[in-house]
Amino acid sequence: MMNKKVSYKLPRNLLVLFELMALLLLFIYDKDNLDKLTIIYGITLIFIVYISNFILLRISTGDSYIFLIVTMLISIGVIMIYRIDPLLGIKQVLWIGMGIIIFFITYFFFKKIKGWEEWIWLYGISSIILFIMTLLLGTRTKGSINWITIGRFGFQPSEIIKILAIFLISSYYANYEKYKEKKYGPYYLMGIMYIFIMFLFLQRDLGAVLIFYSLFLALQFIYEENRKLVLYNLLIFIVSGTLGYFIFPHVKIRFETWLNPWKYIDNKGYQITQSLFAIAEGGFFGTGIGLGYPDFIPEVHTDFIFSAICEEMGIFTGIGIIMLFLILVYRGFKIAIKQEIKFYRIVALGISILFGIQSFIIFGGVLKMIPLTGITIPFVSYGGSSMLSSFIALGILQVASEELDFEVEKDG
Amino acid sequence: MDKELKRIITVLVGICILFVSLVAYLSYFQVFKAESIKMNSYNKRLWINEEKILRGSIIDRDGKILAYSEKEGETYKRIYNYGSLYSHIIGYSYREYGKVGLELEYNNALLNISDSTPLNELKNIVIPNTEGNTLKLTIDHHIQEYARNLLKGKKGSIVAMNPKTGEMYAMVSLPDFNPSALKENWSNIVEDENSPFLNRATSGLYTPGSTFKVITAVAAIEKTDLDREYECKGSTKIDGYVLKDYNSKAHGKLSLEEALVKSCNTYFAEKGVLIGKEKLGEVTERFMINKKIPFDLPTAKSTFPYKDNIGKTDIAAASIGQGKVLVTPLNMALVASSVANKGEMVKPILVKEIISPEGKVIRQSQPQTISRGADIFTANEVKNMMVEGVKRGTSKNASIKNIRVAGKTGTAENPSGKAHAWFIGFAPADDPQIAVAVVLEEEGSTGGQAAAPIARNIMIEAINTIK
Amino acid sequence: MYNIFSLIFKYVFIVIIYLFILSIIRLIYLDIKGIDTAPLDDSSYLKLVNKKDTLPFKVKEYYHLADEAYLGRGKDNEIMIKDPYISKKHLRIVKDEGDYYLEDLNSANGTYLNGDKIMDVAQLKNGDRIRIGQVEFLYVGRE
Repeated sequence: MMNKKVSYKLPRNLLVLFELMALLLLFIYDKDNLDKLTIIYGITLIFIVYISNFILLRISTGDSYIFLIVTMLISIGVIMIYRIDPLLGIKQVLWIGMGIIIFFITYFFFKKIKGWEEWIWLYGISSIILFIMTLLLGTRTKGSINWITIGRFGFQPSEIIKILAIFLISSYYANYEKYKEKKYGPYYLMGIMYIFIMFLFLQRDLGAVLIFYSLFLALQFIYEENRKLVLYNLLIFIVSGTLGYFIFPHVKIRFETWLNPWKYIDNKGYQITQSLFAIAEGGFFGTGIGLGYPDFIPEVHTDFIFSAICEEMGIFTGIGIIMLFLILVYRGFKIAIKQEIKFYRIVALGISILFGIQSFIIFGGVLKMIPLTGITIPFVSYGGSSMLSSFIALGILQVASEELDFEVEKDG
Repeated sequence: MDKELKRIITVLVGICILFVSLVAYLSYFQVFKAESIKMNSYNKRLWINEEKILRGSIIDRDGKILAYSEKEGETYKRIYNYGSLYSHIIGYSYREYGKVGLELEYNNALLNISDSTPLNELKNIVIPNTEGNTLKLTIDHHIQEYARNLLKGKKGSIVAMNPKTGEMYAMVSLPDFNPSALKENWSNIVEDENSPFLNRATSGLYTPGSTFKVITAVAAIEKTDLDREYECKGSTKIDGYVLKDYNSKAHGKLSLEEALVKSCNTYFAEKGVLIGKEKLGEVTERFMINKKIPFDLPTAKSTFPYKDNIGKTDIAAASIGQGKVLVTPLNMALVASSVANKGEMVKPILVKEIISPEGKVIRQSQPQTISRGADIFTANEVKNMMVEGVKRGTSKNASIKNIRVAGKTGTAENPSGKAHAWFIGFAPADDPQIAVAVVLEEEGSTGGQAAAPIARNIMIEAINTIK
Repeated sequence: MYNIFSLIFKYVFIVIIYLFILSIIRLIYLDIKGIDTAPLDDSSYLKLVNKKDTLPFKVKEYYHLADEAYLGRGKDNEIMIKDPYISKKHLRIVKDEGDYYLEDLNSANGTYLNGDKIMDVAQLKNGDRIRIGQVEFLYVGRE
């Protein structure tokens, strides 16, 4: 037991070392407009991250890596955001603080309450309400309607719906035997998921369409006993994708700017080509923080944060981030495999796939490996909704990593 | 459970593959694509770094300033002293239009940017680089200006060089453009059907006409079993295709020398077929046709597709520089240089020295042989024939008093209907100091009438003025 | 001045990030391998004799023994095994003057040491086999 504790200290201390050095560097960088508050924010963040990792090891009997990995991702992200815009950086620190609190709240809440697999209708209906609200109240940013603004506060309902959708799919497959008996039972889930995807398409949020679709397909692939459905799903995607390309100009534009962004360098391809310049300029080791020009890329703090990191911290750091995500996804799958209760198992799988797919889509997008769709990198990009929903998902994953023994309690 | 586990692992493996392919793509991008993407003129970073550095000057062989940069507010402004005179050599460097010419090829030297290694980076941060290097060209400003004036109003190109060292004295390509007034004329220049942006000297591909007979002559000498005698009747029939001499004039009984002096088409066409495409092809390639000529500016490849399935008529046409043969003026100047320089072809040089801001010479170009066109005896033999050609043959208009000149004219038929007028040559024949190639595009006149006098004047001027 | 800092730090950052990743991979590796192989320190432990996959409930391959350990189906045991044939508090292993003693806590189905049902307390020797419910352990004692 002693041996184990000692080794956990190493990555935790490395993390603190990294954060302290970055803090020092950023303060030298931004020394002209430093105030006490900023320094306090920085040090508090480091403290919170350290303490959270420490506490979590004590209170949770489950996985002790996922939170550690996530805190590393957050640190890299916030350093870059602060360097691009100190004001956003401080806001991001606040979001992280809130996120960690939400993480612990979710952890206790989700662990305490039982019967999650029974409320499939709740997930479905609240998702649809959120979708309708988005369409009615939503504001258009970057061509898609996916924000609701209430007063000063805006949020992205699709971030919450992602988690609801995972719950919905999980409770469906956890009670698969029950639904299978009903007439057209197997088609219920597909119907609901396609309604979701249609809503997202109406919002022109192509990135979210892709995420929902892959998430659904992956879980369906694992749990659907009627294998024909998986095939249908795949066919529908291909057909509707092709149709979408010819019918909807905004889908077509994405493809064309992906195939040859240089042709549209002045307008549609501007963002992606600027991203490629940034990554190319960085080389393997980067220019050094503060010495590159990531601010040439529009939206660099959200969708294109990866390009900024590659420019100033090098593609070695970029590869590092990809590896961190890979380990996170691997841990998520490991958690799922070890989990005995089916509902939690599917939830754990869903969340891991979500993290994996979402980060892949945006990494691939900014690299021009796949067509670009504007979504955030979980934990790294700037943004409140994304940060909070990712932490909720992580809290749920943390619960799923534990040995849950509801049955034992039931029979005394 | 087993089936479920298997499928879970399948999905995990799928995601792993996606991530690994991301890493692979990122590495591939960095290793193979990043360099060229960085150089895209839309990359603002290039200009940010550049605008902090005083771009180096470009001077001619005597130190005359041809282009320099001047501080204008926060940034530097590039000034081209001689307008369009150097448009095809120096090119231009503008944020809006990018870079061409030496401004592009020697960008790093002009900005004093070294390769990005950690050591260089550190050095650059400790001692920030504020001033670029100066390029000293081999060009002689006087000859360059003189040559351009001779060509004024025409289309075509002049290349004048030192046949022993490869130094370019002048390189003119018309039409050209004024890099100082690019903004005002951009759309006109782009749309002009005479393509002023094309550097005809290095990248213009022309039918060489009879100037190519110099190469055929080398092949004929090397083919020892070839009967060099021939009876010219003014026209001949090869594979049913009738080939005529200029004005169908019958030259009578000819040796190789007489044939070259009089530029007899039927002689070379018949002998070319006898030499055969393999031998002819081999010799042309020694003269850098079908090969990439190493140069400070981008060059087009001259071509003679002898390896393709070509017939006797094609070989006959190629032997007199017609048909499928296409060459650049630079290449023909090198052919003349090679004959002048005992058969050795030297590498053409445009940038003589790179001089650091402190005045130290960082890099100096050394003469370098790139190919051996012919052995010394063959070269000598061909040289004598070319001297005779100037003395009493088609190249008479290139003769200079008291100096032995070697030359060969060409009148190249081409699809436009108006022939290109060619001349290649060098002087003095015994100790060559200058080799020239002149081509007048669609001149409609013979090389002897139009191109030879221009070449003559340049050779006189160069011999008299260049030290 | 800042530039020099930034330049040096960028290499340091990459080194730290990769050390971090490596240390986590190492931990995960130890997690997978380490707990399922013989412990490195010299404490005594119980080793599962059954094939792990044949049991319908969760059980570890190794259990380290502290000075006092309870084994049972209930949550408050140091060694929790959800075998329905094991009582909620089934047995206790206690260390006394360097020796381990096994004590059955009036379990319903009893505890067998080398095939014999034990009545109250028995001293454990290296190589002893302990059977409870469907599970059989090997006691590995080390000094």
